[in-house]
Amino acid sequence: MPSDDICLENCYARHLENPFLVLGLAPVASGADVERTGQKLLAMLAAGLIEAENYTTPFGPAMRTAEQVRWAMAELRDPCRRLGHEWWARGWQGVEVGT
Amino acid sequence: MFIGIDLGTSNSSLAVFDGDSVVMVPSSLGENLTPSVVRMDARGAIVTGRKAFRFLESDPGNTWGEFKRIMGTGERLPFAAAGQALLPEELSAKVLASLLADAHDALGFMPRAAVISTPALFELPQNHATLRAGKLAGLSDVALIQEPIASAIAAGWRAEHEGLWLVFDLGGGTLDVSLLETQDGRLRVVDHSGDNFLGGKDMDNVLVDWAVGELRRERTLPKLDRENPASRRALCKLKAACEQTKIELSRQACATLSVSELCDDESGNVVNVDLAVARADFAQLIEPFVARSLAVVRDLLARNQRHADDVARVVFVGGPTLIPSLRERVSAFFGGRVAEGVDPMTAVARGAALYAATIGLSARPARASVSAQSGLALRIEFPPVTADAEPFVVGRFLPAHGERLPERVRIRRQDGGVVFGDAPISAEGSFVLQVALLRHQQNHFQVQAVDSAGKDMALATSRFAIVHGVSVADPPLSRSVGVACADDSTQVYFAKGTPLPARRTFVHQTVRGVAAHSEDDVLAVPVVQGESVRAHRNRLVGMLQIRGVKQDLPAGTRIEVTLQLDRSGQLHTRADVPALGQTFEDIAHVLVPTASLDTAEKEIHKTNQRTDEIRRRAFQSGMAAAVSAIEELPVALAEAERNLSAARGGDVDASQKVHRLLLEINTALDDAEAMLEWPDLDREAHACSLYYTQMVAQWGTPAEQQLFDQVLQSAADARRGRNVVDLERALQAMRSLCKASYWRNPQSLLGEMDWLSAHVTEATDVARAQQLIDKARLAHQQGDPIAFKATLAEVWQHFPSSREDQHKSFGSGIR
Repeated sequence: MPSDDICLENCYARHLENPFLVLGLAPVASGADVERTGQKLLAMLAAGLIEAENYTTPFGPAMRTAEQVRWAMAELRDPCRRLGHEWWARGWQGVEVGT
Repeated sequence: MFIGIDLGTSNSSLAVFDGDSVVMVPSSLGENLTPSVVRMDARGAIVTGRKAFRFLESDPGNTWGEFKRIMGTGERLPFAAAGQALLPEELSAKVLASLLADAHDALGFMPRAAVISTPALFELPQNHATLRAGKLAGLSDVALIQEPIASAIAAGWRAEHEGLWLVFDLGGGTLDVSLLETQDGRLRVVDHSGDNFLGGKDMDNVLVDWAVGELRRERTLPKLDRENPASRRALCKLKAACEQTKIELSRQACATLSVSELCDDESGNVVNVDLAVARADFAQLIEPFVARSLAVVRDLLARNQRHADDVARVVFVGGPTLIPSLRERVSAFFGGRVAEGVDPMTAVARGAALYAATIGLSARPARASVSAQSGLALRIEFPPVTADAEPFVVGRFLPAHGERLPERVRIRRQDGGVVFGDAPISAEGSFVLQVALLRHQQNHFQVQAVDSAGKDMALATSRFAIVHGVSVADPPLSRSVGVACADDSTQVYFAKGTPLPARRTFVHQTVRGVAAHSEDDVLAVPVVQGESVRAHRNRLVGMLQIRGVKQDLPAGTRIEVTLQLDRSGQLHTRADVPALGQTFEDIAHVLVPTASLDTAEKEIHKTNQRTDEIRRRAFQSGMAAAVSAIEELPVALAEAERNLSAARGGDVDASQKVHRLLLEINTALDDAEAMLEWPDLDREAHACSLYYTQMVAQWGTPAEQQLFDQVLQSAADARRGRNVVDLERALQAMRSLCKASYWRNPQSLLGEMDWLSAHVTEATDVARAQQLIDKARLAHQQGDPIAFKATLAEVWQHFPSSREDQHKSFGSGIR
């Protein structure tokens, strides 16, 4: 096992990529919302729009990439995987952690 | 124009999608299918397709087909007359080049990009080889798509159906069965399964064996089998005739298998073949294959907790699915719900062309640069194909020096002038607008920009088109990809089903030091593909090597490893060492392994012994599941031995099959072994539950205690269901939670120090480890808990995983 600090860092990295955070959506978002928002973000990223390049997390802004958006869309299409992400996203809601 | 290519084992084809309809591009002989066959004459001149196919029988030493079955291997196929030997991807490139030349004739330009289909069960090395074939054929941009997804797109891209689909794709060499789901017009792959050793060629072979048996009843034939290199030519002739008979039996109840001058019999008389084959007899011959294919279907459904009744439609793909007995059996299994209007022979190429449109991979050569066109430059981003009737269009103006940005922008649909938006332009020159699409057709749009005076401005690019159809989810990864760590664990970077492209970085630590400026001291970062938490049970697909570091790297150095898979599954890897400011990108792509036949023979012998040993243990334990897991293995081993003989006779495909069979047999033995180790694992789980529960209850936070309860439940479920993988995962989670709780015990660090002191001789650098332990002891005595903890953490970095684990995990140098 890597050291505890590194385990924690890898763990944060994984959770900060929660699909709802990446897409900027609430855990109640519908499938259609997910698809439309994802498509819009992909187009904005491809056009190089600055406003699409970051997203908000409880630990401060994180950089958004097209790969993350595609992954987030795919994760939320799978009902079982979506459940897990919803659970975490509900936990993140309202959480403010200092960077 | 968008191009899709089905690069098949037996035949290949190319389709073009122009935004409205998909058409097949015929070869110069007017056929939609081009045989995947290459011939090279004595002068080195290459002939492909139908012209080469004719020489398969008469000149097998200089003509090759079915090379897709050995894609990704380093096996060079020899052309005796020319004295050359080519890799499978080089031969595939010749077939692709021939298809592209046909496209050039039909379209008037040489395509620059295309989507090529690959079987769903292809692994990274095979995909890499296919991409290389595309590049060698002259394509500058190639994307891959899994064959079942391509078939499903072809079958359903304009359909209104929702629900589950099953694509039954039986090609020349492989069976791919995929479960797909269309929901809200979006198509996604739920799961897939298959058999790498089941295809139309196996049915040809069984007919060959039958024919040889029939001939032997009448006369004494020379040794006519795959083991004998001298019989290759006669067998090629017979096999081609059998394939033809198989095709005829799909259309008629009886066919004649005819071959003139097959060979001479032992009396020196010419053997002519003239055998009547009834469809019913053929059905009986291929029955084991049909049963095997249905077993794959049942397994896939069961794995996904689905029943045949849940499947709304079945799509048949591949020539062998035209065989009536097979089609009837599969169709009956699904209550006759077969998708109509899908041509099994061209569905893959058609779907691939449609997919090229969804990812915007235009086949046209690049146009003249934007600056050469008059007007303000504009970059428009939109989904070329979408199920969303109101998609977003994003634009960004790129003004040259002195040019002004427009004030507002609108988009006009060119079918009666419906106008969308009148949006202002942002400070960075961009706009985001939603447009409405006419359903199931291509919608053409034009962007209009207006200046502050209300006048239209000239734009360099203003027109685009969006097709309303089925949105296709990005191609999912067929097997998880990760990095093997030195303790034989796998750090999963991309789980199975992750959409491609994908990129992810995780932090690791080196388990040993690396000497500066040495090309020999190499730290390995093995990249593996598979689902097991144990690294050695997965398949090695790449190896990143860290060597030639600028200064000595101590054990425990932080390494940031990034894996990137492009849309086609091409692997890119890098490791950053922040302490040195050095980056390593030296990825060695691993080929599909091939071994010498002598090595394969030894391996079969070893596997036989292992099978005997595990069978003995399985019977002794009385564990029915373990016995059942290995009961088919003697058959598979016998098949491996048969294929080894065929490989010695010059059958390259058989050589590859031996390797794959051995891999599958050993995986089954691993599983059986895991079951036999179940009692120990179960005892460990029981002991851990008791010990860890106490630890977490005493020192854990409420959240940790809650999580621990859930993990305990998972462990209990896994123990009840005797699920080794789930129990190993649950144990791993229990250990992590216990560890987190344990550190809250003020005595924990002292206990840790005692353990390290007692085991210091196991450190990679004993002197340094002892020095650090002394330092930690001093920090404790001086009442400095922060330094005490930090120093102990440093000591751990000198304690590697066991040599055995490191060896098993492909020599991984990281954790």
